[in-house]
Amino acid sequence: MTAIEAVASYVPEQRVSVEEVAGRLGLTAMQTRLFRRFLGLAEIRLDPDGSLLDLLSAAVSRLAELRGRERLVRYVLYARAMPVVEPYPVNTLRELCEAFGLGHAVSFTVTHHACATGLLAVDVAGRLLAGDGDADSDAGALALVLTGEKAFTRDAQYVPGTSVFGEGAAACLVSLHGARDQVLAYASSIRGEFDGRLDAAPEMASRFEKEYPASLAEAIAAALSQAGMSLADISLILPHNVNALSWQRLGRRIGFPADRVLLSNVPVTGHAFCADAFINYTTAADRGLLRPGSRYLLAAAGLGATFSAMVVEH
Amino acid sequence: MDHQTLTSPESAELRPRVFDSITQLLPKVLGREIPAMSEDMKLMSELGMRSASMLELLLEIEDDLEIQIEVEDIDDAAMTSVGDLADFVAGHAIIDG
Repeated sequence: MTAIEAVASYVPEQRVSVEEVAGRLGLTAMQTRLFRRFLGLAEIRLDPDGSLLDLLSAAVSRLAELRGRERLVRYVLYARAMPVVEPYPVNTLRELCEAFGLGHAVSFTVTHHACATGLLAVDVAGRLLAGDGDADSDAGALALVLTGEKAFTRDAQYVPGTSVFGEGAAACLVSLHGARDQVLAYASSIRGEFDGRLDAAPEMASRFEKEYPASLAEAIAAALSQAGMSLADISLILPHNVNALSWQRLGRRIGFPADRVLLSNVPVTGHAFCADAFINYTTAADRGLLRPGSRYLLAAAGLGATFSAMVVEH
Repeated sequence: MDHQTLTSPESAELRPRVFDSITQLLPKVLGREIPAMSEDMKLMSELGMRSASMLELLLEIEDDLEIQIEVEDIDDAAMTSVGDLADFVAGHAIIDG
């Protein structure tokens, strides 16, 4: 069974207010105010002088459980919301692998689930390890899942009326036999009819908004069904940090208390692409919110559109 | 500062002012004139509003009527027609107490 052995996260120190971001993007006063007033967004973290390699390296450096076990890592998966982030032949992922003693590992990017790609990558990592066929005899085999992106273009900084993106990264060690966090179920639904630019297709954007809550609720229900559980079995939801209001509304829709959706990072980090769920994991772990045997749910939606949920037992 | 939700009589008193405010502010938020605004007019399907423009409208109403609106409870039903939105705002306005 796929297991999350360890998670480390990093957010840059520089805090930038949503008002400052909105000013740079040329948003109106009302477009700006609604972020803080209604959506629960207040500031993001940025490292304007740092590279993508700096960002990802900061997360990997914090993953103490990797030290001395580098040779056991067979796969390094970089889960990304944006399909293209650097020009050929720049290959940040390979540079990172070489720098951290992971040059032997098969490394590749996982994408096209947008901001839900992080959950896909954990599932793919587990499947690859299981598919090697020697899982029982080689219980130490590992995969490393990386998330984190630079908010480097207008599209990578802002979803109109919905969210503001910040920089943050996470490194997640996956195995087949770890005892810490076992993945009980993963469900994902791709709704290709929502592929396209929301700001250029108002009708599609309206339909997406209308169907978003039901679609995410369905993904959560599907993951719970796979695990043979109900929401009553879930102690905590670790969400993507798109905004607080959408999660408050979804919580009410599915009958899950809003105070058990970890939203405290929304005003602090904004939406850090695929890294949110893992950054929220480290917050939950630091605060003692994950107790042995407790079941929690990672959930995320990605533009394009993908709706995903993963049930995990701590 | 403590806040209190309006009582039912206060909400009822506020309701017509909210409707008037919506009537006045919708053209500004949408950037176009709206002929013959009515209670039954559908905000999304007829007027083409989206959640972002809905939230902008709520901010404009807050400024116009000098109230604050609790949005945590907002749902699709509250955003169906102009009248539904007026009901929601009147029922979820908070005053400084």
